[in-house]
Amino acid sequence: MALEVLTRQTDNGVSVIAPTGRLDVAGAPALKDAISEVVKDGPPRVVIDMGGVSFVDSTGLGSVISALKQIRGGQGELRLAAPNQQVRVVLELTTLDRVFPYYATVEEALTGF
Amino acid sequence: MGSNQEPFEFHATFAHLEEGLSILHKSVDALRDATGRRFGDRPLMLFETALAEIGGNVLTHGRPPGTKRPIEFDLRCDDGTVVALLSDSGPPAHAHLSNQMPSHTSEAGRGIAMARRLLDELGYERDGEVNRWRLVKKL
Repeated sequence: MALEVLTRQTDNGVSVIAPTGRLDVAGAPALKDAISEVVKDGPPRVVIDMGGVSFVDSTGLGSVISALKQIRGGQGELRLAAPNQQVRVVLELTTLDRVFPYYATVEEALTGF
Repeated sequence: MGSNQEPFEFHATFAHLEEGLSILHKSVDALRDATGRRFGDRPLMLFETALAEIGGNVLTHGRPPGTKRPIEFDLRCDDGTVVALLSDSGPPAHAHLSNQMPSHTSEAGRGIAMARRLLDELGYERDGEVNRWRLVKKL
């Protein structure tokens, strides 16, 4: 299933990017495109809602690292929300959970953001 | 999976990235159904993650322009051990086999290091012009 990515903005200006499907070598470019759109509009605060991501591979993870670098480069902040078990395992295996502290829900990620 | 069950076998050939990745995941779904494992079963999830890593590499690098030979994929599970075989026509991959996990800021280069950690065995051999990958995990 090709990755679909929806972006919405909360009332206080946080962009919530919600990919749905497999975030893998085939789907990663769609997330990168969505991040690029958000970053060009100024210092971004971004939540990636991983709740719809069924599976992630190392290339998909690379697209999240790319997002983090772009967003921090633009003086913004990135939070990950609602990763499933497989995504959490991959984050832990690669020790990227130290770089991406994740939130159980989008609502938690938005709190105080 | 008890030893009195018939071995699970799956075979496919494919040539395109999204098609190939979908087939790899479907093969694991079929294995899950055949062995009565629940969705989220950890050993099978770890195997699927490794399979997608090596499969993604094979699909990305294993069919240089002009290649007619498709990717060959076999999955077999017998007596609780799952074995996947993938073969491709890409360049030799010896140089990548010992890749270590890169730094946190690296956007690429984790696939083989991840697969090694996720599997009990990751085998590779160059057979003429063909790369042959063997992934083994006890479930």
